[in-house]
Amino acid sequence: MVVEPAVEFETQDLLINVGPQHPSTHGVFRMVLEIDGEVVRDLVPYIGYLHRGAEKLCENNDFRQGIGYMDRTEYLAAHNAELSYVMAVEKLADIEVPERAQWIRMILCELNRISSHFMFLGAFGVDVGVFGTPFIYAWRERETIIDLFEEISGDRMMYAYFRAGGLAWEVPANFRERVGEVLKSARQGVKDFDGLLTENEIFLARTKNVGIISAEDAIEIGMSGPSLRASGVPLDLRKTEPYLYYDQIDFEVITAEGGDVFDRYWVRMQEILQSISIVEQCLERLEDGPIMPEKMPRMLRLPEGEVYIRTEAPRGEYGIYMVSKGGNKPYRLKVRSACLSNLQALKQMSVGQYVADAIIILGSIDIVLSEVDR
Amino acid sequence: MTTEDGATEAAETAAPDTFADTIWPDVNRTLTAVDVQPERGVLDLIVHIPPADIIRGLNMLKHDEALQFNYLRSLTAVDNEADGVDVVYHLYSVPKNLNLTVKTTLPNDQKVLDTATTVWRAADWLERETAEMFGVTFTNHPDPRPLLMPEDVDMSDTHPLLKSHPFAEIELLQGELLGHNRDAEVED
Amino acid sequence: MNTEIFGIENVNVWLDALIRVLIIVGFMTVVVMALIYAERKILARFQQRLGPTRTGPVGTLQSIADALKLIGKEDLRPRNADPWTFELAPFLVFIPVFLGFVIVPFVLDWQIRVLELGLLYFVAVSGVNIVGWIMAGWGSDNRYAMIGGMRAAAQGISYELPLVLSLVAVAMIVEVPVGDGELLRGSLNLNEIIAAQHEVPNLVWQPLVMIVFIIAALAELNRTPFDIPVGESEVVGGPFVEYSGIRWSMFFLAEYAALLIMSLIFAAVFLGGWAWPFGIWMDEAPGRWLQAIAVAIKSGAFFFLIIWIRASVPRLRIDQLMSFSWKVLLPLMLAQVLVNGLVLVYDWPEIILTAVGLVGVVALFVIVDRAVRHPRPRPAPVAPLQSEAV
Repeated sequence: MVVEPAVEFETQDLLINVGPQHPSTHGVFRMVLEIDGEVVRDLVPYIGYLHRGAEKLCENNDFRQGIGYMDRTEYLAAHNAELSYVMAVEKLADIEVPERAQWIRMILCELNRISSHFMFLGAFGVDVGVFGTPFIYAWRERETIIDLFEEISGDRMMYAYFRAGGLAWEVPANFRERVGEVLKSARQGVKDFDGLLTENEIFLARTKNVGIISAEDAIEIGMSGPSLRASGVPLDLRKTEPYLYYDQIDFEVITAEGGDVFDRYWVRMQEILQSISIVEQCLERLEDGPIMPEKMPRMLRLPEGEVYIRTEAPRGEYGIYMVSKGGNKPYRLKVRSACLSNLQALKQMSVGQYVADAIIILGSIDIVLSEVDR
Repeated sequence: MTTEDGATEAAETAAPDTFADTIWPDVNRTLTAVDVQPERGVLDLIVHIPPADIIRGLNMLKHDEALQFNYLRSLTAVDNEADGVDVVYHLYSVPKNLNLTVKTTLPNDQKVLDTATTVWRAADWLERETAEMFGVTFTNHPDPRPLLMPEDVDMSDTHPLLKSHPFAEIELLQGELLGHNRDAEVED
Repeated sequence: MNTEIFGIENVNVWLDALIRVLIIVGFMTVVVMALIYAERKILARFQQRLGPTRTGPVGTLQSIADALKLIGKEDLRPRNADPWTFELAPFLVFIPVFLGFVIVPFVLDWQIRVLELGLLYFVAVSGVNIVGWIMAGWGSDNRYAMIGGMRAAAQGISYELPLVLSLVAVAMIVEVPVGDGELLRGSLNLNEIIAAQHEVPNLVWQPLVMIVFIIAALAELNRTPFDIPVGESEVVGGPFVEYSGIRWSMFFLAEYAALLIMSLIFAAVFLGGWAWPFGIWMDEAPGRWLQAIAVAIKSGAFFFLIIWIRASVPRLRIDQLMSFSWKVLLPLMLAQVLVNGLVLVYDWPEIILTAVGLVGVVALFVIVDRAVRHPRPRPAPVAPLQSEAV
């Protein structure tokens, strides 16, 4: 005999607002979670808090002023952001960049990738719950790299060092020694991190099998960068569509099979080691020479045309779509932001997981809000 | 896969460009019953498709065996003022490592286009941004809210990236422009 | 009734109790402030930074500066917060911790009262602070606070059982001399437990129980890796998010006072308190002071271990910590109690306890390792949207 309950239990889902001010959202980002107990049923992200209209402003600034705007769209990997922009200008204007400038660009971009991945490791450690220790370790490594950047370009974060055609000025005389020091410290930093977190049982329990996204879904949603490679897709723009001199350098594309949070963390950690190896190879091939072509006009005027240049920034594919209709300013500049496309996958990865996992998944996608919002 | 700039000039003065050295033959073959025009871009091939056929064309490009454009890199628009608004799709094929740019032109009085979210889910937020920045309406979009514009104030009639939307007046801050004529017009 | 205190005879027992309580309260406040400073310094050294350095020599006055600042803050209460629940919650968290100090034996004869049911009293009283956490969470009229409060309650209740069972396991096997050289087994009196360890500390006989006690104590104190109720990167402060000034500092002090009590109980129950290695045959100064130093070193070791764990280990998720308590710790503790009982009834040699304990420790590590490396499939997520093919 089945007894019908006198009262039907009706539970209500709880709406939780995470952000925009929150220690864990890596910038001004807001998401509204609908949770049932501890399980996330729905997730709605709200972005746009950091929208500054970079694309519109660049239409009003010539090809040298625009470099500063590109820095500020991705301030953690500013060299990579500047690189796409100046490559687009060079492509349209058909400027050939001297060899020495290209090698130095490669070194700086890879060093920026190392410092950006360390930033991810630090912030991720805080998300997972270790109070501060991985954060300080990561910051110590970043300090060495940023000090080097300050010696070269004068700025710690927004460098404005690349120019259409080459570099703004020559690097300091002790460049090789300084880069060698930075690499040694970075190697030790990765070892420290590995020892602290990778084999830690609680870390594994928090990150394994959490926030899985399959390879097909990731390609469908348009993810790129380490988050895509952690799902098993070996898409690295430095190998598939080589730019600068990446086709002359030996390095591996790191992929993982699971597509969970641990894999995204592990891929980034291994990429630091690969970048260290790339910088060492570039240092070997670096020779003396000019850093700007002989005849560079003071005010660059581009012919009509359009180009879509894509480079592998630390967070994914950073693309610049530039339309020029003559003149010294771009007619339309579109920044294809890696973080925006990666962030679209957040909802799919988080629904059905616990609330604490949603925070970790957000951290593992490694977004920087200034690139999402531009 | 890639094209050379020099070929464009040579083609203009010599024979009409057959685009035979790009992926145009495959694209042309795939896009049956679609009125498609090729153009040589600096890096990739550009094809122009009329707005009515765009979703059909994109689907064919995605599902074709030889091309398999399963990755939407970017979706954006360009405001050509009197000539209308160009919606631009940058496609990429992961298994075949091919690139393609697809363009379609919308007249200024009818900026309506079918949504590409049925083809790739990546189009979701990209279309939301294009819609709010250019005033293009994507029909059947699953979530047509503004993405970057403020949500507490109704700014649905403001489309910042259109050329008709003006830049803000630059204020003269104290100390700046010392020595210059303060009443002179500020150069945008 | 009259008793003696400090060698002064014939003191009214109530006055004697009052004096002891005041001494303890004063002592505890100073020690808690020192503990806060020590934690900040030690944690900073783990993280390759310096910690407080400016206030006072080497930053030693930092706690006092913080206390003064907190006293001067405005006492806010959210408009929709339930006034009685909100304002009484800090008291319900703070007072049970103070009550726990009654039975803690610092040195032989240096405590407030000797209770025959000391351990039972301690466990019963420390369970009341869970009510305080729930009141704080509910009374704050804030979703994050409520989530934090519920998590704290679930965690606190779950880890009560392994904690209690671990203390029971130890209490079962202590030998108490009962005149005529006879030995009786089993006592809840903390003094007797310590005295029974004058040759060998209890950690030798009950290694598994000691480890489980450390884990359960971490959970009861809401410290990493079990600090999900106050997870700063998620629910930003948990049930205490709406409290400010003195009320908030009461929660904070309660946490460190509880930490102090746990350290002392740990030193007493597992490491031999004041009895090992100097033994109860030492009486009066300087013997007492040596025993005090021994107690300080032992509880300091526990304290340092707790901070070390905090600096190195991520945070467990609530479902992981609940399943760890109910599915791993509780069965292990029940098995240990069974083994203890068998050894007592059949009068087996005590070395069996050590052997079984070590086997249990190995079993614990193996279980945790296997659970982590081969995780069970997660609940199936909601089916992702499929793009419709035309």
